[in-house]
Amino acid sequence: MNPQALMDGLITGSMIGLGAIGVTLTYSILRFANFAHGEFIAWGAYIALAVSSALGYLSGGLLAPIGPFSFGWSLPIAAVVAVALTGGLALLVDALLFGRLRAQRSTVIIMVMASFGAALTLRSLLEFIFTSKPAYYTKALQIALPLGGGLRATPDQMLSLGVAAVLVVAVHLLLTRTAIGRSMRAVSENQQLSGVVGIDVRKVVRIVWLLGAGLACMAGIMAGLLVQIRPHMGLDLLLPLFAAAILGGIGSVPGAMLAGLIVGLAEAFAVQIVGAEWRAAIAFVILVLVLLVRPQGLFGRPE
Amino acid sequence: MTAALSTRALVAGYERDLPIVRGVDLDVKQGELVVVLGPNGAGKSTFVKAIAGLVPIHSGATALGSLDITAVPAHQKIRHGLAFVPQTENIFGTMSINDNLLLAANILPREKRARRIAELYAMFPDLAARPSLRAGQLSGGQRQMLAVARALIVEPSVLILDEPSAGLSPKIVADVFARLKEINANGVTIVLVEQNVKAALAIADRAVILVEGRLRHEGPAATLADDPIVAELYLGARREPKTVTP
Repeated sequence: MNPQALMDGLITGSMIGLGAIGVTLTYSILRFANFAHGEFIAWGAYIALAVSSALGYLSGGLLAPIGPFSFGWSLPIAAVVAVALTGGLALLVDALLFGRLRAQRSTVIIMVMASFGAALTLRSLLEFIFTSKPAYYTKALQIALPLGGGLRATPDQMLSLGVAAVLVVAVHLLLTRTAIGRSMRAVSENQQLSGVVGIDVRKVVRIVWLLGAGLACMAGIMAGLLVQIRPHMGLDLLLPLFAAAILGGIGSVPGAMLAGLIVGLAEAFAVQIVGAEWRAAIAFVILVLVLLVRPQGLFGRPE
Repeated sequence: MTAALSTRALVAGYERDLPIVRGVDLDVKQGELVVVLGPNGAGKSTFVKAIAGLVPIHSGATALGSLDITAVPAHQKIRHGLAFVPQTENIFGTMSINDNLLLAANILPREKRARRIAELYAMFPDLAARPSLRAGQLSGGQRQMLAVARALIVEPSVLILDEPSAGLSPKIVADVFARLKEINANGVTIVLVEQNVKAALAIADRAVILVEGRLRHEGPAATLADDPIVAELYLGARREPKTVTP
């Protein structure tokens, strides 16, 4: 078996993990599975593409590659803008759709169906605006550097892994060491009691959307940088995202990331062992197995 | 003198066309300990939840001192000095004792938080012994103490408790009620919903009785405790049959 599968799995897994954090946070606080979450990944990638292209058009120097990487300063700047705009998009979707349904005390199934509708709308809009033709931040070729043990990775891949690790640690510290993190955990456990102790639940919900969509945007930019940008890129990641969120245990940020890596590695090794055509089935198998054997996931507590 | 807490013609309930509380007028004086009694389904919990902002108010008004809090959202009421301890699920079980207190202290100025938590630990030494313990692992009595400590963090002017004795052994109930009496003696106005009539009347200054969402009777706790008609009509007690002598 080719040891490179380990590196491929880690890279895919880090993208899945970042997306799964958003899924797990939204699920634990808003109590529904948001099937539109994958679209924030795609929208984040496309917004970054649009901003990066605009910056490159305004100042060609921003497109010049930074050190060993394949992209120029236009992409990091665009990433910051895209995170903010994707967060804004999530707030807009909440204001137009999910917030209204919550106000009407809609059941979980209605929220889930609404998220399917939102996903279709957002994806169709992307195709309408950007077409379904794949796009790239850069077409520069990178040489994978040997890391030892038969593993190789490009500078872009190593940077993506590093960024993912930093983001996970930052979100974990936010949740466990800060007042807003405590508020998010409190709302996740008991919304009514949270209100009683003075927490503005609506504010917490807004922060969760911003955080989840921001991380999804980063996952999208990583996927766009390392693979390609397509309107369906979020849909393709949706099942692995949910598999990772459930395997990690709903509400657990480190769990989502670890489970993302597990799903990514399982997919990569499955390609080696049983063939690439089974790659997509692996997330489904993991999802079913976890639901049957340990429904609370790795770090979740039984209901 | 303005009441510490008052309601005027309060109508509240989860559905607009199905009010559970049907026009309750109540004035609670500063420093008073008032117990709300009544049979099951009388609307006691709904009444206090409506005051706390957890049940929709359809008409009428509630005020904290001279401040109208009828439309104030639940999370803002604590900032105005109204603390509420729900009957069940009144602590965050997955969080540590200290995190429960930190969460409540969050609305205090930053420089005051640590001092206030230390004061609460001094008041509830059982909690101070293991601040990092997950609150879900506490006993029933300790949970109530944590819920009360959490509510007291912000030094409320009015503390409302919904059946704090529910599910507790008589000894623990006595401890909890003794602690509530101490808190009241320190100037906190308390409104207490209770099914444990005897224990509640023993510490209360005044009792009000709700029946079918309406305030039917009120008076000094000591008087009500010995009122056989009240006991029979509203509290489910049975009058002793008269002894017939030949």
